Amino acid sequence: MKFYFMLFALLFGCASVKSPKTLSGSIKLDVKELKLSNGLTVLMVPNHKLPIFSVQTFYKVGGKNEVPGITGASHFLEHMMFKGAKKYGKNTIDFIIEGSGGSTNAYTTNDQTVYYENLPSSELEKILDIEADRMENLLLDPDDFSKERQVVLEERKMRYENSPRGQLYLELMQELYSGTPYGRSVIGDISDLKSVSRDQIFTYFKKYYAPNNAILILVGDFDLEKAKNIIEEKFGKIPSSPTVEGAHASLTDEMFEPKIKKDLIVAKKGESPSPLFMFAYPTYKAGHPKGYALDILASIIGSGKSSSLVNQYVLVDKPISTSIYAAHQSLEKSGFFFIGGELVKGVKLKEFRESLKKSMQSFCERDITPTNLQKVKNNYLSSLYSGLDTNAGLASFLGERHSIFGDWKFYKEELDLYESVTLDDVKNSCLELISKPTVFVTVWNENK
Amino acid sequence: MKKIIIFCIFLIQSVNVYASSFLDLVERKEWGDLEVVWIEDNKFPRYSAMFYFQDGALSDPFPGLTQATFDQLSSGSKKENQREISAFFDFYGTKVKTNVNHEYSTYSIQGLTKDLDPVVTKVCELFKDAQYPEKELNSYVSRSKSHLKNLVTSHAALADRIFRQVSLQDTPFSLPAEGNLSNFDKLNSSILKERLTRMNQAKKVLYLSGPSSALKMKDIILKKCPWSSHANVQRVELKKPVQQSAIYLVPVSGANQAQIRIGRYLTESEVKGKYDNYLFLAGFLGGGFTSKLVQELRVKRGITYSAGAYVSMQRDYGRAGIMTFSKNETAAEAISVVRDVFQDMSSKKFSAEEFKHQQSHQIGGFAFGFEESEAFLSQIMIYDHQGRNLNELVSFPSTISSLTMDALAKSSLEAFNWDRLTIVVVGDKALEKSLSRIRPVKILKFTDFL
Repeated sequence: MKFYFMLFALLFGCASVKSPKTLSGSIKLDVKELKLSNGLTVLMVPNHKLPIFSVQTFYKVGGKNEVPGITGASHFLEHMMFKGAKKYGKNTIDFIIEGSGGSTNAYTTNDQTVYYENLPSSELEKILDIEADRMENLLLDPDDFSKERQVVLEERKMRYENSPRGQLYLELMQELYSGTPYGRSVIGDISDLKSVSRDQIFTYFKKYYAPNNAILILVGDFDLEKAKNIIEEKFGKIPSSPTVEGAHASLTDEMFEPKIKKDLIVAKKGESPSPLFMFAYPTYKAGHPKGYALDILASIIGSGKSSSLVNQYVLVDKPISTSIYAAHQSLEKSGFFFIGGELVKGVKLKEFRESLKKSMQSFCERDITPTNLQKVKNNYLSSLYSGLDTNAGLASFLGERHSIFGDWKFYKEELDLYESVTLDDVKNSCLELISKPTVFVTVWNENK
Repeated sequence: MKKIIIFCIFLIQSVNVYASSFLDLVERKEWGDLEVVWIEDNKFPRYSAMFYFQDGALSDPFPGLTQATFDQLSSGSKKENQREISAFFDFYGTKVKTNVNHEYSTYSIQGLTKDLDPVVTKVCELFKDAQYPEKELNSYVSRSKSHLKNLVTSHAALADRIFRQVSLQDTPFSLPAEGNLSNFDKLNSSILKERLTRMNQAKKVLYLSGPSSALKMKDIILKKCPWSSHANVQRVELKKPVQQSAIYLVPVSGANQAQIRIGRYLTESEVKGKYDNYLFLAGFLGGGFTSKLVQELRVKRGITYSAGAYVSMQRDYGRAGIMTFSKNETAAEAISVVRDVFQDMSSKKFSAEEFKHQQSHQIGGFAFGFEESEAFLSQIMIYDHQGRNLNELVSFPSTISSLTMDALAKSSLEAFNWDRLTIVVVGDKALEKSLSRIRPVKILKFTDFL
C-alpha cells in the first residue's frame, strides 16, 4: 500500500519536490492555464489522490474599490452571494454545496473577495454552474438584503466594537492611511451599512463581478478536458464588464500612499485592562523588491521565541509585554511594517514607545546575522510546504499571486528574490525603515 | 429525495473503497516501550510527530501544573538556557505545539526531515534535563497572570472559560487545565521537575508521518529519550447532571453583544457506543450554514452572525453544547429560539429532507479527513484514546447512512434535554431583565473564574 500512496504523490503533479538547490527550484507546480474570450482566467491543477477538489473564485474587488457612502459594499456583497441567483434561487446554494458533503465560505480584504468550496469530485459541474449563475445573475432579494444587513452589523460588532484587537487594527489603518482608500473599514462604517441600498450594491456588483475581473482556480480530482468544456459552457457566455478596467486604472498607487509626515501617537479608550499596541512604519506595495528584505526583517525581529522582540520584552526577568510580534503587510497598492502586542499593566506607554524606537536601531545593527537569515529561510520553506499540503492551500497560493501580480508564476520570482536577499539588504532596509515616520496606536481602558 | 438517496448510496460505495485503502497505510510499530502509529507520506520532505501522553490535567494537584510543565519545557536545561533552546528550534523552522487536556497531553513537532536528527535529539534532552529555572518561571507566571487578567478583551474566550467551570461544576473536569490566577504562584522548579518525571513514565504513543527517512528518529528516541511507558489511566465516574434552573449572567462592561453558551456534560455511559450518533447530532444542529441553528438564528431571523454546536467526547466524559451570540436586544430571543429548536428536535419535528441532507453532508465530507496525514493521525489518536477500533472510522459512512430520524430525536433529547442544560451569558448587566423571562438569573463575577 505504500506504493499506492507514493503513486498518488507522483500523480499529484501540482507540488512535486525536487532537490532543493534553490528555493524556486524546490517546488514545481504543474498548472494548466486557460483564458476565455470574455477575460476569465482559469488555473487548473489535477490531483487524483482523493475523490475531492477545491474551487476558489477570486474577484479583484475589496475595500480599496469603495467610496464614502458605500464602505463595506464588497463585504456586504460577499454575504449576499450566498443568498441565491437566477437558477439557484433563494437559500439554495449552501444547501446544494453542504448537501453533497462540501463546505463553502468566503472572505473580503482590502484588495480582493474570495469564494471557496471544497467538494466531492462528483460535484464539479454543479459548482461551476452555481459560480457562473451567481457571477451573472445574483438575486439580491430585498427581504434577504434587509436581514443580512443586520447580520453584517452583528459581525462588525464582533470584529471591532467588542474586540479591542479589532479596534486597534482599524484605528491603525485609519491613522496610517488617513485620506486614502485603505483608511476605510473593510466591513464598512456603521452609518454606511445602515443606509446602503440594494440598488447601490447591485450597481457595484455589475461593475466588479464579471469574468474579466475574476480568476477561477480548480485543484483536485477532476478530468482536465471535461473541466475545460464545462467552464467554457458555463462561463463563456457571461459578458465582461465594460467599466471594470477603467475603475482599476483610476486607482493609482499615489492615491494609497500614507500621508503621514511625522510621528503620530494615538491613544484610544477600549475595554482592554492591559494596553494593546501597534507601532507601524509605511513601506512598499506587494512585489516591491525592498519588501522581501522587510519580510525577512520582520521574521528575524518578531517571529518565534528567539526573536529580538521576544527576547527584549517578554523573556526577561520583569516582562514588559506578554506577547509581541512583527510583520510586514504587503497590500496591492501599499504596505506597512508593524510591531504589535500586549503590554503588562503598569508599563508607561510613552517610555515603551521610546524604548521600541531605540530597540529597532539596535536590532538593525546587532541581530541581522547569517544565522538569523538561515533561520528565516528554514522557516519559510517549512511554512511553504505546509501551505501547499491541501487542494485548498494550493488554490489559495495560486489565486493570491495571480490576483495581486497578474501571474501565478510570480511565485518563482518571489522565491528567487527571497533567496537573493543579502544581509546588507536587510540591514539597509532596516535602517531606512527606522528613519520613517511612525504611527503608535494603543487601546486600553485607562486611555482617556 | 430519491436523488439524495441515490447520491448517498453512490457516496458510501466510493468512500468505503478509499477509507479502507487509507487504513491500510497505517502501520503500528513498537519501539521499545513506545507504541508508534506510522503513515508514510512522501509529498514533501518534512515530518510531523505527535507524542501522546496518557496523562493530563486530571493528575494535577492544582490547575495548570501539567500545562506549565509542557509550556516551560524549553525554559532551560543543564546545558542551555531558554534563549539558546528557543533559537535552536526557530533556526530549524521546527514548530513545537503542546496540548494539555484533562485525560491526556500531546507534545508535537513538525519540521524538515533534513534537520530531524538534531531536533529530536534536542527534544529528548529537554525531557531528560529540563531544569525549570526560577527566573524564567517567574516571568512565565507573570505573563500568564497578565494574560488571564486581560481575557475580558475577548468575550467569546471568557464565555468558553466560564461555561466549562459552571457546566462541569463539582466534577474534576471543571478546573481549567491552563491554570488559574490563584494557583500560578504554587509553581516552582522542583514541582515541575517532579511532574515531568511522571510524564516521562506515562504511557506514550507516537503518531508519525513523513517520508521513510523520518523513521530515523527511532534510534534517537530509544537512545536518548528518558521514557518508560506505564499505563496511568485514572478513571473518573461522573453522576448524570442534575436539573438546572437558572441562567448565569456574567456582566462585562461595554458589551453590546451577548455571548451565549448552552449545554451540559455527558457521562461515559451516556457517550459510549453513541459517538457517531452524537457527531451526527452536532452536525445537524450546528455544522455549517445549512444546520438547524444557523438557519433559525441567522438566515430566518438575522439575529446572529454565527452559531455552532458540538458533542465532544473524551474517554470518561463528553460535553454537548451550543455557542452563539446576539446583540443585547435579541439575546433572550436567541436563547428562546435555541430552546424551541431542542424541543422540536426531541419531538421529531424536523423533516425527512433535512435529515437526509445532513446524512449526505456528513458522508460526502468524510473524504476530507484523509487529505492531510497529520489530521488523519489526529483522528486516529482520538479513536485510540477512546479505546475504539479503527474499523469504526471506516464504517462511519455506513453508520451514518443507517441512522434513523427516531435515533436523531433520541440523541437530541439525551444530549440537549432543556431542563438539564446550563446557560451562561456573558454580556451587559442590563440583560438581566430580559433573560429572567426565560429562567431566574444568577449573577456571576467574571473575576471569580480567572
